[in-house]
Amino acid sequence: MISLAQMAMAAGFVLILIGFYGALTQRNLLRMIVAFSLANTGVHIVLVAVGHMRGRTAPILDAAVPVADALTRVIDPVPQALVLTAIVIGLGVTALMLAYALKLHARKHTLDIAKMTELKW
Amino acid sequence: MIKRAIALLLTLAVGALFASLLVGYVPDSELNHTARYYAERTAEDIGAANIVTAIIVTYRGLDTLGEVTVLFISAAIVGLVLAQGRVLNNAPNNAPRQTRAPVSELLSTGSRVLTPLILLLGVYVFVNGHLTPGGGFQGGAIVASGMLLLLLADPLKQFSHRLIAVLESLSGLLFVGIGVLGVLLAGGFLDNRLLPIGTLGELFSAGVIPVIYSLIGLKVGAEFSSMLASLSETNHTENSEET
Amino acid sequence: MVSALHIITAALAAAFLLGLLKEQQRGLAYGITLLTLALMSWISAGWLWTFASTGTAAVEIFTAGTEPPFAINLRIGLAEAALTLLINLVGLLSALALKDTLLALGRRAMAVWLVAVMALSGIVLTRDLFNLFVFFELTVIASAGLVLLSEHAKNDGQALAAGFKYLIVSQFISAFLLIGIIFAYHATGTLNIDDMAAAAPLLGGGAAQAFALAFFLIFIAVVAELKPFPANGWALDIYESAHPAFSALFSAATGAAALFAVDKLLLIGGDAWLPMATGIGIVTFVAANLLALPQTNDRRLLGYSSIAQTGLILAVLGQRDILGEHTLYIAGGLLLSHAIAKAGLYWLSGLIAERGLEAWAALRGQPLLIFAFVSFISMLSGLPPFPGFYAKWELIHLLAGEGRIVLLGLILFGALLEAGYLFRWFGYIMKREAPTEVVDNVAHKFGAVFATLAALAAAWALSLVWGELAGLQFDRFNMLLALPLLFALAFLLLDWLPVWVKNSLAIAGLLAWFYLTYTEYDPLRMIFAVIFLIGGSLTLLASYHEHGRRIGFYPSAMLMFAGLAMLIRATDSFDFFVAWELLTVGSYFLILRGKHSEPHALSYILFSLGGAFLILAGFALATQGAPYFDLAALADLVQPLAPWVFLLLAIGFMTKTAAIGLHIWLPGAHAEAETDVSPMVSGILLKAGLYGLIVLLLTMGRQDFYGVELINAMLWIGALTALIGNLLAIFQEDAKRLLAYSSIGQMGYAMFGLALMNHLGWLMALMFVINHYVYKSMLFLSVGGVAKRTGTRQMYRMGGLITLMPLSFIATLIGIIAVSGVPPLSGFGGRWIFYNAILTAEARLPMILIFLAGPIAFLYLFRLIYTIFLGQLKDEFRRVKEAPFWIVLPQMIYVAILLVVAVVPGLVLRHVDAYLNHFFPNGGLIWEGTTITSQFGYWNPVAIMIIVGVIFMTLFAWLLFVNRRAQKVKQFNIVFSAERPFRPETTHFAWNFFAPYRKALGFLTLPLVTLFWSTMTDLLHTAGDLARRFYTGNGQTYAFHLLAFVVIVYLFGMGVRP
Repeated sequence: MISLAQMAMAAGFVLILIGFYGALTQRNLLRMIVAFSLANTGVHIVLVAVGHMRGRTAPILDAAVPVADALTRVIDPVPQALVLTAIVIGLGVTALMLAYALKLHARKHTLDIAKMTELKW
Repeated sequence: MIKRAIALLLTLAVGALFASLLVGYVPDSELNHTARYYAERTAEDIGAANIVTAIIVTYRGLDTLGEVTVLFISAAIVGLVLAQGRVLNNAPNNAPRQTRAPVSELLSTGSRVLTPLILLLGVYVFVNGHLTPGGGFQGGAIVASGMLLLLLADPLKQFSHRLIAVLESLSGLLFVGIGVLGVLLAGGFLDNRLLPIGTLGELFSAGVIPVIYSLIGLKVGAEFSSMLASLSETNHTENSEET
Repeated sequence: MVSALHIITAALAAAFLLGLLKEQQRGLAYGITLLTLALMSWISAGWLWTFASTGTAAVEIFTAGTEPPFAINLRIGLAEAALTLLINLVGLLSALALKDTLLALGRRAMAVWLVAVMALSGIVLTRDLFNLFVFFELTVIASAGLVLLSEHAKNDGQALAAGFKYLIVSQFISAFLLIGIIFAYHATGTLNIDDMAAAAPLLGGGAAQAFALAFFLIFIAVVAELKPFPANGWALDIYESAHPAFSALFSAATGAAALFAVDKLLLIGGDAWLPMATGIGIVTFVAANLLALPQTNDRRLLGYSSIAQTGLILAVLGQRDILGEHTLYIAGGLLLSHAIAKAGLYWLSGLIAERGLEAWAALRGQPLLIFAFVSFISMLSGLPPFPGFYAKWELIHLLAGEGRIVLLGLILFGALLEAGYLFRWFGYIMKREAPTEVVDNVAHKFGAVFATLAALAAAWALSLVWGELAGLQFDRFNMLLALPLLFALAFLLLDWLPVWVKNSLAIAGLLAWFYLTYTEYDPLRMIFAVIFLIGGSLTLLASYHEHGRRIGFYPSAMLMFAGLAMLIRATDSFDFFVAWELLTVGSYFLILRGKHSEPHALSYILFSLGGAFLILAGFALATQGAPYFDLAALADLVQPLAPWVFLLLAIGFMTKTAAIGLHIWLPGAHAEAETDVSPMVSGILLKAGLYGLIVLLLTMGRQDFYGVELINAMLWIGALTALIGNLLAIFQEDAKRLLAYSSIGQMGYAMFGLALMNHLGWLMALMFVINHYVYKSMLFLSVGGVAKRTGTRQMYRMGGLITLMPLSFIATLIGIIAVSGVPPLSGFGGRWIFYNAILTAEARLPMILIFLAGPIAFLYLFRLIYTIFLGQLKDEFRRVKEAPFWIVLPQMIYVAILLVVAVVPGLVLRHVDAYLNHFFPNGGLIWEGTTITSQFGYWNPVAIMIIVGVIFMTLFAWLLFVNRRAQKVKQFNIVFSAERPFRPETTHFAWNFFAPYRKALGFLTLPLVTLFWSTMTDLLHTAGDLARRFYTGNGQTYAFHLLAFVVIVYLFGMGVRP
């Protein structure tokens, strides 16, 4: 039987692939950045999905999850922590790419990646 | 289109790789030894109710420091890139900024009411990061969204870059400083037991985690705001260049 | 000891602190940046010192007061300390070189710089997989930001585009990395590298497969950071467009950190992943070097070279299953060599105004910077005494020991390509027109100069360290401390002295070394010792003629002599090879000094290095895994290995003796060299190759290679070389080229004699060794003297110089009598022994060739003396004076030697003859008084001298008597009916002197060999030029490359893996 985690994971992978395909075929810098954002989101979904465990809850110890029961009640907290870091880093890279795109446009008056090939060979 | 065909082919090949990962994935039925350690020991060792926060701020605190640094240099580079453009474009003309049609009354009034509330929410989220879902990054992002609202209401608004930079740097310095204090006074870098752990679930608990998370919140808020400010200011110069 | 953690905290604290400063306080911000980088370097240096001096184990640094794997931990050991020191120092020095840019851009740029350096240290220190990812991302973002620094300087948008391409690729990489990490975590339940390495082998079934897939993604992502071929177009664009000080960091430090990360990953993956690392590495190494060949942009060229070196080190890491505990020494040696040299070269490029390779000729006025450049490219080419040399030696030996011959061959091939473009570049620097804009204001670019010189100091310091380590690990001597080499290097420090002081020192040094060591040589080696050392000081007499300081001559010359001196004392393969490389490098620099010698010096060094690589491979095969062996042990080799070793070594030595097919470097190199250098490289250096052949034949002798008696092949090669060399010589118009071709022929004789493998053959070869030294040195000097006075080397433009330059004439006359082997001079003795020798051998056919070669030699020798000294004097040479004293003096000494040896050949030969009895007991000569007897007849030199003398005097007197009323004819009085000669020289009698012979025998002199080699190099160039078009410059294409790379490696790798 297919679990929720696997469905999420599949969706994440599909998102990544859509993002990759977009990044490979879109020539507009901004569209490429959007494609990468998609792919990043896919990666984050996969990350979270890997840590998911059926029938468990968020790893926060409160009245609902007493310390003593934590072992059997909470899901794996590590992917959750990792995904936060991944999101923030992805955000940093995206901001940087946007700044680059802005600057490239100011310099070259185009956003077409195929027109930025002075350096080659 | 050969290019598209190759792109599709490559994407499918990567997809096949992912598919075998997916097929080979067997969900865990119980926590692995790392997760088990966190589930069992966090309350006792760290005193944070939110295990994810304990991991982020303490166990994997070095990652978080790196993460904050990522934002820090992204903001610095964005500022640098766009500032360079400004100097380039604007150096000769000191012409007064062109004025725009005022934004709608609704937006400007609304922003005046909402911004303090948003800021408050942001602060709440990062101060309570060790107890509830949320934390410095989320809180910081909320704070920055308040700034975004202000910018939307008044696109020509100038934030004090200096204030943002000082806020950003001070919180970063304190973060590193607390980390180093951990080496000197407690068990190691970023050890949260500099302050007493307190009682699980209370605001003043989990050692220095709330302090660090608040600093992160301030820092992230400042960095996002600085990026937003840089981007919005560049936008003006781009426009003024076109006219 | 300050915890290594503070490398990270210090950088971060400083980066955040910079934000508190006002935008205007740039000087203060810069000061804080430098101080912090210095502090970081100091922390690393402290640890390095601790580990190196006490040998303590690595130290773990825990964070969060919790033990790993539950919290992130760092580790610092010897390798980590060395690498972080490298990274921090490069960061510090590059920050110095970047001073202007950093000050212009302000505190934010400095903060990014600090973070970049910190993140690289973090990659090295961390033991947590996800933390590794964080540091990688930090590096990516900081690098992308720093690429913009160059945008500040040039402002042409190139760097912007390059940075964006980098970001595109890094997005793919980080997606793969994250997916890989999370699935690896899922499979093993840990993120700690060591913990994962322990857990991974215990996985079974599906989990193991899932883990392998996850690991593949991590591995390929980190490898992609190493810029593997073909997924590396983005990196090249960065190298080309970025500020050179950033490229220095990007090449040296980023490469080092990423390699170390791969090393950590291989710990997790285990041996199963090693072939993949090796495969990617070696393909990258060869491909990048090939693509670098047609490059004309200096920074892009260095980028290709960086990628190649990184590939090589990756390949080495992939061989850790056989390298074992030596991996650190080998990979470390290669890595540090690459890092220091590449950083140095990038800093240096910051001083050059234009980007073409020829523009580097601007360095010419700066001996110190030239020395730095030479040191860096030698380091990259793995020449002694740099660490890369030791590393290459060990690597090749271990590979050969395990029979990984294909890899070995590819490594040597790639290294040769790399040496090719690096030394070609050096040739440009020394010989091309310097651009008008010379190195601009060194004081202004203080930072870059300081950084370059620091790299230079580090390069030599490291050589010393690696030599010491070689001593500890493999019981080798530290070659840098070898007395001859030290003596040669001392001339670098003394180069400010005038020529006559340095020349006297050099001569004194050679003689003193002979005095110190002469007791050690057996008669065979004694011949070579005398030629190398005494003969060397004799040719150096001619150098007194030079004035001024002659910068660079003495270090090069003494390096060559140091190599020669060490060669004959070498008793094991390592010593021998070190000496071989030293003499090759030294002679290359010497040859390059000639005015028009740039292309010839290049082909010389390439053939020599190619030959040296064959020798290295031969030695490595022979040792079967041991680090080195006694040369005498070559005799113990057996089939099937022995013939291969023999073949490799023989071809290697024959490149030095310029055997036919491998000879094309010689004519240019010898002819274009300076007047006093030609005798050194011809009379002396060629003997090194013969010495090698002698050592080889003495130990290995006859070898059977799939039914071919190798010694017979050599006999044929010798005979053909003699014939073709002589034939080519007769058609030369250039006097020095004529002599050079004649050397090829002479070496053919010597090889033939050795290949006869009998007593007399060897005696004759040794006689040739001595004779060739004397008369070829003498002839080169006298022709060089004439060329100096007349300003031309074209023989038809000379003529009638006999009265103006009588001493040169006498030297030439005596010389050609000796060369041609007619009585009464020593050449005849050589011939006599020679004919005796071939009568005792069975090889009839090559014998005929050798016989044919004899008269041909007469033709060119006759032409030499006839067209230069006889005939009519040209108007423009009426006032020509005798050659300078210091050039004539050694010639006269040689004349005296020739006469003495002619009368009493036994002086030397007797001892050799007796000594040869050890090896060839039968067929020696009988020495009685002045008579020497063989089984075919006798030879009495004294009697011959008297008889010939009498005949000569009689004929001479008769000629004088007959010719007293001879009428003189003008040279150009040929009348052409209504026809003006197209080229005036064609009317001269001495032009195309032997035209009829050319008609008859010209087909033998078709430049087939030259054609072959030039086609080879053209093919390589064209291949490189076509292949590099693959880098279209489109960031999207690069993304295709990356994905294709991942998919291909996946298909290959998963197929290969068990």
